[in-house]
Amino acid sequence: MDRVRRLKTVLWFLTGVAAAVGAVRFITGLGVTTNLSDSHPWGFWIGFDVMGGVALAAGGFVITAIVYVFKREQFHPIVKPAVLTAFLGYIAVILGLLFDLGLPWNIWHMIIYWNPHSPLFEVGWCVMLYTAVLLLEFSPVPLEPFSAWARIRRFLIRYRIVLVVLGIGLSTLHQSSLGSLFLIMPYKVHALWYTPILPILFFISAVMLGLYIVTWESKFTAWAYRRQEDTDLVAMLQGSARWVALVYIAVRFGDLAVRGELAAAFAPGPHTWLFWAEIVLMAALPFALSLSRRVLRSTSGQWAIASTGVFGVVFNRVNVGGLAHVGGGAETYVPNWTEFVISAGVVSFVALVFLFIVEHFRVWAQRPADPAADPEALPEFEPVSQVSLGGPAHAARVRNSMAFIIAAAVGFALMPFERVERQGLRELAVKPALGGDTLFVDGNRDGYGVFFRHQFHVEKQGGRQSCANCHHMNLPGDRNSECSACHREMYRTSDAFRHQWHASPEGGNVACADCHDLGKPKSAGSVFADRRDCDGCHPKLAHDHKWIEVERYGAVASYADAMHGLCVECHRRELEAAAAASPEDQATASESVTEVNGGQDRRELTLCTTCHRGETLRQLRPDVMPGRETPAGVVRTQANLTPWNRRASRQEKDDG
Amino acid sequence: MQGWLDFARGPLFRFCFLLMVLGLLRAFAFSAAGLLRAHRRAGDRDVPWRRLVADTVSWLAPVGRLWRSRPLYSTISVVWHAGLILVPLFLAAHVTLFRNSAGFAWFALPQPAADVLTWLTVLGSFALFAGRVGDRNARSLSRRQDYLWPLLIAVPFISGALCSQAPLSPAAYQALMLVHLLSGNLVLVLIPFTKVAHCVLLPLSQLVSGVGWKFPAGAGDRVAATLGKPPTPVVDLKPSAGHEPTHEPVREEMTA
Repeated sequence: MDRVRRLKTVLWFLTGVAAAVGAVRFITGLGVTTNLSDSHPWGFWIGFDVMGGVALAAGGFVITAIVYVFKREQFHPIVKPAVLTAFLGYIAVILGLLFDLGLPWNIWHMIIYWNPHSPLFEVGWCVMLYTAVLLLEFSPVPLEPFSAWARIRRFLIRYRIVLVVLGIGLSTLHQSSLGSLFLIMPYKVHALWYTPILPILFFISAVMLGLYIVTWESKFTAWAYRRQEDTDLVAMLQGSARWVALVYIAVRFGDLAVRGELAAAFAPGPHTWLFWAEIVLMAALPFALSLSRRVLRSTSGQWAIASTGVFGVVFNRVNVGGLAHVGGGAETYVPNWTEFVISAGVVSFVALVFLFIVEHFRVWAQRPADPAADPEALPEFEPVSQVSLGGPAHAARVRNSMAFIIAAAVGFALMPFERVERQGLRELAVKPALGGDTLFVDGNRDGYGVFFRHQFHVEKQGGRQSCANCHHMNLPGDRNSECSACHREMYRTSDAFRHQWHASPEGGNVACADCHDLGKPKSAGSVFADRRDCDGCHPKLAHDHKWIEVERYGAVASYADAMHGLCVECHRRELEAAAAASPEDQATASESVTEVNGGQDRRELTLCTTCHRGETLRQLRPDVMPGRETPAGVVRTQANLTPWNRRASRQEKDDG
Repeated sequence: MQGWLDFARGPLFRFCFLLMVLGLLRAFAFSAAGLLRAHRRAGDRDVPWRRLVADTVSWLAPVGRLWRSRPLYSTISVVWHAGLILVPLFLAAHVTLFRNSAGFAWFALPQPAADVLTWLTVLGSFALFAGRVGDRNARSLSRRQDYLWPLLIAVPFISGALCSQAPLSPAAYQALMLVHLLSGNLVLVLIPFTKVAHCVLLPLSQLVSGVGWKFPAGAGDRVAATLGKPPTPVVDLKPSAGHEPTHEPVREEMTA
């Protein structure tokens, strides 16, 4: 039992991390706790938890079909564990899905709001029904000790074949429909994975994984509980799996050949590596290994076949579910550690339930010995204080709960709370404007900025005396500091005062007592009156004729807000003044505005295109802003630009 | 240095805080489960709830009960406990930190009150330590953690008080703040695994003697009778008249 004992502690630890991380996920939402985004809403959770989980649960329908439909009675000993694994697999899928859904409390919607055209609707219903079928299929085992339920148990056993057939039907439907989900995304799934026969490939690989997972589970539980290994049974199952693997390889490459994408499998790039890793792990390697009779009957050989097969098919699902989605250069998706941790936690939790059930009910012919029931068990002692923990059962509770709470604290400590504070707004340091007389204002350097005629504005507002109109504050020792000196964040407020810098020995080296009244709690309220703004220490930071008053030095407007606030507000005032004036003046003002702007009327301030005219620096000065090369030489929108995705470009050519 | 401060204030604090909360819940759950098991197995399951609740409440302010035997000790202890609980929870700076990170907070103590309470707690720590070292009876009852706790408690209080009240140079401020954060985190993380867990186990502690006293049936009364004490698990300073006769039969039974 030593192995199971340690295994359980590890599983409790993983569950603990996931519990803390999952709690933060439900409190703060997906955006800040994962790397999922609007362009990548499906990621590791859909690939691993849902699609991998459903595939991992395929052992249930494969084995019940073999035993109850094809009447191969020699596989009967593994039916119960296979059905249990399948049932718990679907529970894991549903748990994982709850983490992934943006509005998990709406999960019941598919029961009432039908959308019969959607493969997801079919998958949802099938998963729901099949989970119920699996529960009924398995319930004779936990009902065994309770005589009150004997009639129901007998009923379930007598009509088991109905459940088995239902299970096979439902599984066939949704194992393949998980592939159909991706048929809607021809531009998103890479050409090596996207195929009209994705559902068929999913079904074949599900059957293959069903065989592998049953052997893996049999090997693993035999190792953990030091049970007698059933080498013959495992060898027979893996021997059948190799033929499924062969069929899979044939269909997969045949499909690539028919679609004319075979060359893509050899094109350089990360997706080629993903593709070959997947093919080798899920089918080629297990097939090659199981060709040798000696490998097929050896313990290590069986381990290798089962492990590579299981890992490979799950890897395939993760690829289709997220990794093989094209970023097109705009944004690539790499799962955050929180996503891995929650998946591991869900699997660990389900594994603990599995271990509990096999220890308390007759899943196997012989139940593993319960260490807590051993009358000769010695008390255990805490390693540090040598305090007695009592018998093994209580000692296990003490140890596992300790592992759980430490893990939860670790998970909580590691959570990226700085992302939560930003409330999803990306931190983006502003770059200063480029140019001389005419400035190109493009703080985030996406190439879509505004040309600002600086010299023209200087002249129009009265020459050098007018600097202070816009440059309302300067850095110490500077004149006319640029906007980005204080408005340092593109979309968030920034701390123009930099409190931390002033208080640090390496920075301003200013003591608390220099500014704060120590008799009061340290806050903005306890600052001495003459230290409330920068002029208190740095004379002449602010211009005398400034138009703009700073309200909070600790949180000045974002660069985007500051720029829009200045330009739009100033122009609005000018137009209001013109409107209030005589009709002649109004006409002149309008004329002059239109004239100087190259015929464009700048009064249309509500239109973004009034200022953001689509001119980009890249267009004018490709040497300054090297960007993506496109056939037209002009950058249009960022979407649809996946030049290496040949299907997309082919489509473009067709359109062109 | 700022990086260390941010670490101690961020991830390290979150680790220690959650470990404290979950650890206390765990300690409470284990104690309650153990008690429940003891109660199930007890020969006499009649628990004097009313008296246990009254005892628990009255021990929250032990001045009245210990005033006659140890007036100085009980006064210092109560003031010390008050500072220990009130200052960390209701200091304006802590409340602000909490509001900035969690988005909500509660009222704060006025700064002068917090300052006075802080120094009273520091003095109390040293007084309690001195009392424990100086008294032979206390020494014989003390474990290592009993000596260490008052001193450990004093560290975050002294460093925090200096940080908030003394005109320090920025370098000294950061160094002391780091001491404050690290020692404060250490206190948090040790709470559920040492005797300080009594902060949540308190409601159970009277229950333990209440249940244990009657396990097996009549045991408590027999012990009390043998010792010639009143038949209650907790020392009652005002023994009710007339308890002696009820115990005569028990004594007889034992001698028989």
